[in-house]
Amino acid sequence: MMNLKALIAVALTCAISTQAFAHSRWILPTHFNLSAENGEWIMVDITASNETFNVDKAMGADYVKIITPNGNVTRPSSTYKGHRKSVADYFLKSSGTYKLTNNNKPTYMTTYKIGEERKRIWANKAELVGKLPKNAKEIKTSYRFARIESYVTMNAPSDNFNTDGTLLELVPVTHPSDIAENEQVTFKFLFNGKAQKNVAVEIIADGARYRNDPQALKLISNEKGEINFTPTSAGRYLLIAEHQENTPDSALAGTQVGTVFLTFEAQLN
Amino acid sequence: MNIKIVGLIIMLLTLISFTTDAHKNTLHPTEITIELALKQQSGEYHRPYVASWIESSKGKSVRTLLLWREQAKWLKDIRRWWRKAGRKDAALVDGITAATRAAGKFKLSFLAQDDDKKSLENGQYTLFIEVVRENGGRAIIRQPFSLNGNKETFTLAATNETEQIKFSVNPK
Repeated sequence: MMNLKALIAVALTCAISTQAFAHSRWILPTHFNLSAENGEWIMVDITASNETFNVDKAMGADYVKIITPNGNVTRPSSTYKGHRKSVADYFLKSSGTYKLTNNNKPTYMTTYKIGEERKRIWANKAELVGKLPKNAKEIKTSYRFARIESYVTMNAPSDNFNTDGTLLELVPVTHPSDIAENEQVTFKFLFNGKAQKNVAVEIIADGARYRNDPQALKLISNEKGEINFTPTSAGRYLLIAEHQENTPDSALAGTQVGTVFLTFEAQLN
Repeated sequence: MNIKIVGLIIMLLTLISFTTDAHKNTLHPTEITIELALKQQSGEYHRPYVASWIESSKGKSVRTLLLWREQAKWLKDIRRWWRKAGRKDAALVDGITAATRAAGKFKLSFLAQDDDKKSLENGQYTLFIEVVRENGGRAIIRQPFSLNGNKETFTLAATNETEQIKFSVNPK
């Protein structure tokens, strides 16, 4: 179980330990909603950055997958990796809702300290033998998976919300293409396939560079695993959710950590 | 005229009068008139995409009255109409499409029917007019009204894209 303070604590720890974990990540399509008679192109940005939605560090597009409305898993037609972002090109052929993801695979990560310096290796507890320096302290191993996702709808929306039961997942109760300013939105969180309460969520509006206060909306999922919120202005938003559970019985990791980065838009009403 | 035919006519008349009582709106649907006025603009001008539709008190689109548009690609820019009605029904979009118009005044009249041409039941509704112009702005006008057998007349305030618009609900 993890509250917001804990999340912030984790974020701070990560900021010290590993640059990668300090950053938000996102997959940002040029369009969330399209009208077309004969298909339409979209491009997506892929980046790790703490300034919604200004790009910072390119993440590779190698893991980008697009799940079509009929459930096929497809790849972008082309990708390019720059220094600040990667971009991917994709042609939407048929009507419906597409799910865009840039998920790596679940991984084991071990962090430790040498004096005051934090280090990490990609290994589980069983693999650590002989890999850690003798003076390593505060050794912590986690099993983690981050989902970086977004939805794009061409013409009539469809449900494209299959889950796989791995760590943290976001299920849109409000369809992403129905999100509009001043209308309530409901999202549901699952952890290992079950509704999860107390998931810590932050929602940040576009344009963080031009605000003194980032104005992150902070929420905690309820007993049903749901959050409810009402965007007060139209625009693009990044949702960051994280949940952690201790796994004392696991021989491989002490904790499981699931993260979701969802990009969505609230439309003009 | 023989007695059989007279009998038939009487039967038919009875049937009609009965039907009239039961489904008043079916035979004499309320008329809705809109005097739409698209504003003259200066500078680069693209004709606006315009949609007007009726939503139920629950915010569900029950009738698209008009759609002035060109390419499908830009339909999504008529934001609310696209979300509430357009994207869900390609046949409806094709059926009501008309070409875009230049700035000017347009006298339009419609029957208070739903998209399936069934009379709208008495109740509360909202008229929407959404106007979107490339390199221009977007305007959305909303006016609640009732269908209850009474005449209602509204003057809709001017926006960046429209002059004053007259809207009336005229029961027959």
